[in-house]
Amino acid sequence: MDASRFISSGLIEAYVSGLATSNEIEELERAMAQYPEVRAAVNDCQLDMEQYIILQAKPAPAFIRQNLLQTIADEETARENGTYVETSEFPEETKQTVYVNSAWRWAAAAAILLLLGSVAMNYIFFGQINDYKGRYEALLSAQNTLASESNLYRARMEQMEHTINIFKDPSMKAVRMPGTKPFPTALATVYWNQQSKEVFLMANNLPAPAANKQYQLWAIVDGKPVDMGVLETTNTTELLHKMKSIENAEMFAITLEKKGGSPAPTLDQMYVAGKAS
Amino acid sequence: MGAAVTYTESELVLGLKARNEKHFGYLYDHYSPALYGIALKVLNDESMAGDVLQEIFLKIWRGIERYDTDKGRLFTWMVNIARNTAIDTLRSKSHKMGQKVAELGSNTLASEQLAIHPSVDHLGLVKVLELLSREQRVIIDLAYYKGCTQDEIAKILDIPLGTVKTRMRNAIIQLRNILKQI
Repeated sequence: MDASRFISSGLIEAYVSGLATSNEIEELERAMAQYPEVRAAVNDCQLDMEQYIILQAKPAPAFIRQNLLQTIADEETARENGTYVETSEFPEETKQTVYVNSAWRWAAAAAILLLLGSVAMNYIFFGQINDYKGRYEALLSAQNTLASESNLYRARMEQMEHTINIFKDPSMKAVRMPGTKPFPTALATVYWNQQSKEVFLMANNLPAPAANKQYQLWAIVDGKPVDMGVLETTNTTELLHKMKSIENAEMFAITLEKKGGSPAPTLDQMYVAGKAS
Repeated sequence: MGAAVTYTESELVLGLKARNEKHFGYLYDHYSPALYGIALKVLNDESMAGDVLQEIFLKIWRGIERYDTDKGRLFTWMVNIARNTAIDTLRSKSHKMGQKVAELGSNTLASEQLAIHPSVDHLGLVKVLELLSREQRVIIDLAYYKGCTQDEIAKILDIPLGTVKTRMRNAIIQLRNILKQI
């Protein structure tokens, strides 16, 4: 459209009277930037419209002036004190006003409220989810701890049952080995199955050996010591320690030896001894 | 207002942007009748128009930084703020379209203006109102003072939608011709 077509199109009158749609406003503003004569025509028309507006002017009640001057003076004081809060009022510069059906405005207000509500709920639920997540993780770790403890106890229980079964065996013979003279408080017991010939050792009271030492059990057969194995101290929860089996023995004794055991007992390190029959 | 101080528009704008309260007083004294006239025409209620006028001037005062001299005259900018603020209030008071029609459709508007608000301009206004046809006056006022869309005007005046802009153009041309004779 050239300049003269714009001028006769009625767009200028629609613009000035507030009738133009937002598309028409854009179109005309582009033409105003492009053609000085269109801009001049719009200005002339606008001046006349403003004259019509001024014809309908009327003095406002005097108190309004007082109120306004008071309000802006207060605002300036607040601004100087730094207590002024910027309002979010923007002067509307769009000339076209789109009439919105009130039902739509209610719907928009409701939608905004719903959105705000939803944002608030999101915030609350997000906090709750984090809270629950934390609690869930705490529960999960507690549950894992309990499960592993439970496994541990079950293993110990099984061990104990196993031990008790050994004790319960009617052919089991207990050989009490009290402390020798240098170690009067020491005490250990040998459980010797007379049928299977298995030997188990219970350390009732033996002082903890040094790191490079181990207790060794001996059987005295025909006056001679026979190695029955060393006492493994790693598994301290075990009540009975399985030793080597033996057919016959007159006595049992325990000496403290170097780690791994010795071929012959160190007699001055004999802690306990007891007769088998 | 008695002081013989006058400001050019650019002096006024500079003073307002510098937050000078004297310039604001001057602005109010010179422009409040025109802007109050707009609010009154839109709302048809003096108390509401007074409230809206205060809102309009606060928007001008607080928004003066956003006024760009390159985009148009100060008065045009203020008139737009006044019109939009008043029309927004009109809508928020849930005035229905039917009410707008009743207000404008009745012929009381002209006599009311003459009877209640005699002003220095009233002879000019009488002439305008005499020489514009009723339909021309109503179509201008519906668009300008009530913010009606083309669609709404077509329904109110019971005319085809396609003719609204042509009739508006003729009404404005007639108005401008009358104004030239005043």
